Amino acid sequence: MQNKISFTLFPNPNLTQIVTEQTHMKNIFLLFFLAGTFCLSAQNTATVTGTLRDAANGETLIGATVEAVGLGKGNVSNEYGFYSLSLPQGSDSVTLRFSYIGFETSFRKVKPEGRIKLDVSLRTADALLEEVVIKANSLEEKMKSTEMSVTTISTKEAKLLPALFGEVDIIKILQLKPGITAGSEGTTGIFVRGGGSDQNLIVLDEAVVYNANHLFGFFSTFNSDAVKDVKVYKGGFPAQYGGRLSSVIDVRMKEGNNQQFSGAGGLGLIASRLTLEGPIQKDKSSFIVSGRRTYADLITRGINNANAGKPDYDPIPDYYFYDLNTKVNFTLSEKDRLYLSGYFGRDVFTFKDETFDFKFDWGNTTGTARWNHVFGPKLFSNTTITFSDYRYRIQNQLQGFYFNLGSNVKDANLKVDFYYQPSNKHTVRFGGNATYHDFVVGRLKAGSDDGEVSFEAGQKFDGTEFGLYANDEWAVTDRFKLSYGGRFSAWRNNPATYFNFEPRVAANFAVTDKWSLKGSYTRMNQYVHLLASSGLSLPTDIWYPSTEGVKPEVSDQVALGTSYLIGGKVLVTWEAWYKWLQNQLDFKDGAELFGNDALEGELTTGRGYAFSPFEIEIEKKDGKLTGWIGYTLAWTRRGNFPDINGGANFPPRFDTRHNLSVVALWELSRRLSVTATWVYTSGYTAWLPGGRFSFQDIPGGQLQPLVPIYGDRNTYRYPAYMRADLGVVWKWWGRHTENDLTLSIYNVTDRRNPYFIYIDFDSVETPVGDAPTRIYAKQVSLFPILPSITWNFKF
Amino acid sequence: MTIILARYENSVLNYILPFVVVAFITACNLSKEVDINLPEYDSQPVVECYLEPGKPFRLLLTRSYGFFDPFGLDSSFFQNVLFQDAVVTISYDGQTDTLYNNFSFDASPLKIFNYTGLNFVPATPGVNYTLNITLPDNGGNITGSTIMLPLIPIDSAVVEFSPDIDTLARVLTYLTDDPATHNYYRRLLNYNSLDSVPEQDFLADDRILTSTKLAFGTGYELSVGDTIYNTVCHITKDYYDYYESVQLAIFGNINPFAQPSPIKSNVRGSANPLGIFTCLVYDRATTVVQK
Repeated sequence: MQNKISFTLFPNPNLTQIVTEQTHMKNIFLLFFLAGTFCLSAQNTATVTGTLRDAANGETLIGATVEAVGLGKGNVSNEYGFYSLSLPQGSDSVTLRFSYIGFETSFRKVKPEGRIKLDVSLRTADALLEEVVIKANSLEEKMKSTEMSVTTISTKEAKLLPALFGEVDIIKILQLKPGITAGSEGTTGIFVRGGGSDQNLIVLDEAVVYNANHLFGFFSTFNSDAVKDVKVYKGGFPAQYGGRLSSVIDVRMKEGNNQQFSGAGGLGLIASRLTLEGPIQKDKSSFIVSGRRTYADLITRGINNANAGKPDYDPIPDYYFYDLNTKVNFTLSEKDRLYLSGYFGRDVFTFKDETFDFKFDWGNTTGTARWNHVFGPKLFSNTTITFSDYRYRIQNQLQGFYFNLGSNVKDANLKVDFYYQPSNKHTVRFGGNATYHDFVVGRLKAGSDDGEVSFEAGQKFDGTEFGLYANDEWAVTDRFKLSYGGRFSAWRNNPATYFNFEPRVAANFAVTDKWSLKGSYTRMNQYVHLLASSGLSLPTDIWYPSTEGVKPEVSDQVALGTSYLIGGKVLVTWEAWYKWLQNQLDFKDGAELFGNDALEGELTTGRGYAFSPFEIEIEKKDGKLTGWIGYTLAWTRRGNFPDINGGANFPPRFDTRHNLSVVALWELSRRLSVTATWVYTSGYTAWLPGGRFSFQDIPGGQLQPLVPIYGDRNTYRYPAYMRADLGVVWKWWGRHTENDLTLSIYNVTDRRNPYFIYIDFDSVETPVGDAPTRIYAKQVSLFPILPSITWNFKF
Repeated sequence: MTIILARYENSVLNYILPFVVVAFITACNLSKEVDINLPEYDSQPVVECYLEPGKPFRLLLTRSYGFFDPFGLDSSFFQNVLFQDAVVTISYDGQTDTLYNNFSFDASPLKIFNYTGLNFVPATPGVNYTLNITLPDNGGNITGSTIMLPLIPIDSAVVEFSPDIDTLARVLTYLTDDPATHNYYRRLLNYNSLDSVPEQDFLADDRILTSTKLAFGTGYELSVGDTIYNTVCHITKDYYDYYESVQLAIFGNINPFAQPSPIKSNVRGSANPLGIFTCLVYDRATTVVQK
């Protein structure tokens, strides 16, 4: 932890930014000064504050609306359910309206004098409607907000949509949103607006999740029973977020029912889930425990046991994954609330025969302690301590010899956020964080048990990341809102020190009550990097810190857009954006990742850009039929890598020109819902060979009649990807239970989409080996039509 | 033990992922032939030259092709593939040998050459060799250089029987690495014949070796009477890079999780060649499994 304490802002010879940063420092202090001014100017107002909750279970409501009827004043609750509304002092009562889509609107009268504490619990408007509600800001709030490039998905919504193998995956739902692509079929890959897979800040209750995948990316680590909702920023990043270039994926766990003990679970084809939650002390504290495990290994073990001893039988490897989410929260006083949450998940792959005793396991551990404190009607704070740990281990025992390989990244983070509302016109957020990172990169130990033969490799790094931010959301006029601020970020990895300022600006101009114009500019820096040898997410990909030789990645993004609300029910949003990427990392061709203590020598640095003139989303969130249509037209390029493609630009694998998705949820009755998704993606790029040669090899080697010759990267484009999924949810109720059967049909048209293409050949045997007679391309598809059924229950 | 020195990621990329994906694809019969247009490609000359001590100077000079260009298995095949009428010389120790455009071959294992010299390659470590090729019809030139490395002998090849199944054995092959130099190896393992497809064929280096002993091994898969050809080549960095790039190119074509590689040749010149010019120094231990 030494680096954390010894950090200074002394310029490193490599740094040229210090002088300009001092100017920025003045600006940020100005901002704090302004905040103080607001405080002074707001003394003759009354302030109503409190927390908005779901009456059924005590869960806080994020983005719920509070309005003073007839006064034209309003606000929304923040991500902790806290709200604050300033009213003119007076003797006449004011009626406050609390509303949240899917909940009954509640009215309360208050006398606007001094400080008023008012916690409100809203009741569900209709049991059926609740299930199809997208728990986000109302469309009107979304239109009026300075936030742009933001998407929120609730678990309730995700559970209705058809899913691969029936395994609900909230991350895969995000792939249906415009500006986000999957990179490959069936996986949880997230490529946001031309950014790489490591450029997403994925946080679970504010703790970073470094590898959010199970089974090599086919499932995400987020158990739908434990997750409340997911909010994704694709651009216009609020100043409190930093550390990744392309997106922030903020996953919030449920808090636990503080009203009554309850449970939920499900039996699916792949995994089973069980969640228990309830009050520790009613209205004051609650807990939730949620677990999930796959069970394919139980079947494969049975098959192996049945075939044990058969001479030609090759045992099937065991594979399973599991997750455990826990959370408790305590209301310590009217002003203090404490949350403790944790996640533990592992994938385990084992194989044993006469030669191997092989085990490969990987997973994340996260922990969060969060303390909400209300200083007063205008100032709210959130103090968070988080811990994250991602590791993988490969172990193999071969009688007399051993092999162990692993990597690990650990974070400890302290973060303090203040939420200050001097008046209804200003919402100021400021705070800071310090994160200590510890990296073990490619630790390898292998050799013979007697010590005669031994290999050893691995590097250890640490680094400390700092962030200090302030942002004011200012309602300049009734029609014009401006969000402005910035974030200082710094990185220390002895002897390298980097110090950067990241401006954040967003604006919203309401042309009419139904039409707004928006714009934003953000800069982001990224100090930790994922070194991946393929375009897909693998557990063995290595997280590597910024060092003297590896500069922080930088992105700048500008976005312009407009939102139009049709009939209060349909929101049409168009955005155009351009993103510049600097210091992008890639491996040189043929780089060696493992057992290599000189990894930096295998890296090459370049640039990139991505842009879209047309990213559109049409959302409908009310009524029997809800859903959205998303379309993106985009270009992505990487280039200027001295060791790749001769420095020329090339499209990365996930560059797709057109992305269209249609998502529909239709409630036919109280019992029956039908959902459907349709996705069209123009082809991903692929690096295919142009030529071939024959390789005779040395004595003992194998003649290779067909060695591919690879030229420029990713010049081939796969055929378009198209898929339709269908879901049917049938509900019934027992005396104390609620049940549903969810039928998912993945790829309902049984279309054979391209997963990858390879070149194969027919051959005849000759004295010099196999001689090809015909060469041809073969397309491999991954998933045919896949029906699945899941039983879910609640009690 | 083999796995220790193999490319470690292969344990993941070669085995686990294909297991999951291929098992599924096979079960569902999800592959089909498609028509695609590959990138434009101009043919290049390809050099394959291994200077083996005690053997004649000889070389195979061929052409590369567009990927979908047809193969011919008739008499035109050699005419089309073999690059004829080039002027080939190899210089070393102050002398220059010419390799003539004569077809020759070794019978077992079968290897063919279309340029052969009159002299034999000396087994003197440290000698530098330079290759010069002038292609006919102003086709440009090709150059390359390499060095004869010292032989690193196999210390022992030990047969061990499984403690669980006493009819199955493994062979452990030991050698002594010189920690003063950075050494690269290619390990080949053939069962019963050098003409067979190698059971093991991988590259290794001593970068992370902390002992002086190096070991290669097999699984418990051998039976009494099996003949094992253990070959350990001491190779240059150029050859290591070239052969690795060949493996990655082959592997990248068939595995969606692997990143392909362009061919990293150590021959240069205006003819834009591909290929390898290297010395071939190896020790081979032949073992017959016996109780």
